[in-house]
Amino acid sequence: MTKYKTKHGYEGLLIVIEGTDGSGKSTQLELLKKSIQAQSYGVMVSEWKTSRLIANVIDDAKERNLLNATTFSLLYAADFADRLENQIIPALKSGFIVLLDRYYYTALARDVARGQDIEWVKNLYDYAPEPDLVFYLDMPVDVLLKRIIGTTGLDYYESGRDVGFSTDFYKSFEIYQKKCLDQYNNMKSEYNFLSIDGTKSIKDIHNIMNAEVQKILDSGVLY
Amino acid sequence: MSRLNETHNYKGTLVCVEGIDGSGKSTQLALLRDWLKSIGQDVIYTEWNSSELISQTTKLAKKKNMLSPRTFSLLHAVDFADRLKQVIAPALKAGFIVLADRYAYTAFARDVARGVDPNWVREVYSFAIKPDIAIYFDIAPIDAMDRICSNRAPKFYEAGMDLKLSNDPYESYIIFQGRVTKEYQKMVKEFGLTKLDAKDSIHSKQVAIRKMLKEVLEEKGVTLNDKI
Repeated sequence: MTKYKTKHGYEGLLIVIEGTDGSGKSTQLELLKKSIQAQSYGVMVSEWKTSRLIANVIDDAKERNLLNATTFSLLYAADFADRLENQIIPALKSGFIVLLDRYYYTALARDVARGQDIEWVKNLYDYAPEPDLVFYLDMPVDVLLKRIIGTTGLDYYESGRDVGFSTDFYKSFEIYQKKCLDQYNNMKSEYNFLSIDGTKSIKDIHNIMNAEVQKILDSGVLY
Repeated sequence: MSRLNETHNYKGTLVCVEGIDGSGKSTQLALLRDWLKSIGQDVIYTEWNSSELISQTTKLAKKKNMLSPRTFSLLHAVDFADRLKQVIAPALKAGFIVLADRYAYTAFARDVARGVDPNWVREVYSFAIKPDIAIYFDIAPIDAMDRICSNRAPKFYEAGMDLKLSNDPYESYIIFQGRVTKEYQKMVKEFGLTKLDAKDSIHSKQVAIRKMLKEVLEEKGVTLNDKI
């Protein structure tokens, strides 16, 4: 088997799980992490909006409804830059498999749904390394809406209420999530998403992901 | 594409001052503000890195020296965007004279001096409104250092110590602010900044600034009642 070459030139592997809220990303990330760990590889997980520097600021600003579309974009971009430069790239350099819950595709989907110019948003993230694998959990909007309402409930920003699509909470939520899904659909081919039907069972989805990761690992890229 | 190249259509007037610390820009802006207020003009003043949203975070992060050039750049962009949308744009719409101590050009000078790509940072700030008057106070770094460091050493980021140019803060300051100055000088042409010599007297600079402002206001049909 020919040895796989990473897409970013670093020693490690960069694997992303993308999808809207409620698509099952975190569950899958946890499963994937366990199965990779079991094979004695170094794994690091990093989630969206968790930088020590800015994550609190974002939460606080959201709580007080202080954000406009531009500051929303830029704050997330700052969070991303901080995590990328302080966690993700150092881990890749030293040969880790980095598993990411969301990548900048999330920003593209959300910011454009909020009315930002797509080229402007792309520029914010144009320095980000290309992942070796991007799994996209594809969910039909009606299933998604039910899942979110049944778990976390409707959140002000996740419903796009800040943009003023509708004063009706559910309506606003539906419009916003649909807009995000449209953006994800546009990105599928542009960014080589490996799209997986998110309505499949947890186990089935995991098996698909695991098989893809295993192909790369079996090529001996990390030996 | 950038709004920084398009004249705005707001009723108000946007004036910004630029230059490295110690170039005397804040003094000039304060004099201008006091004068405009004394003749009954509606004035709003806003300064770099002062938004309620983020400035404290940035200051704290600076204290801990934990910022990469890109994060540094983006945090300042957050601050700027917040002030632009919440303070500057509404005031311009309402017809105020908005005085900005530093503007997007500060980011272009400092971030590029830190190694950030010039086109990238310009695109980040492409939502910025073009000022009616943008003044750059030109000063040699060594002279600026004499002014601001008479009783203290240069600060970590001010001296560009994050770039590891030199272990000596004074030497690092001169190298780093030299780069910043070079970027400013390039922008005089690129963005049509008005260059003033920082070594001119306080009075002569203030006279020049008031003259520029009067001309811009007259074009907008505003005559200043400054004969009182």
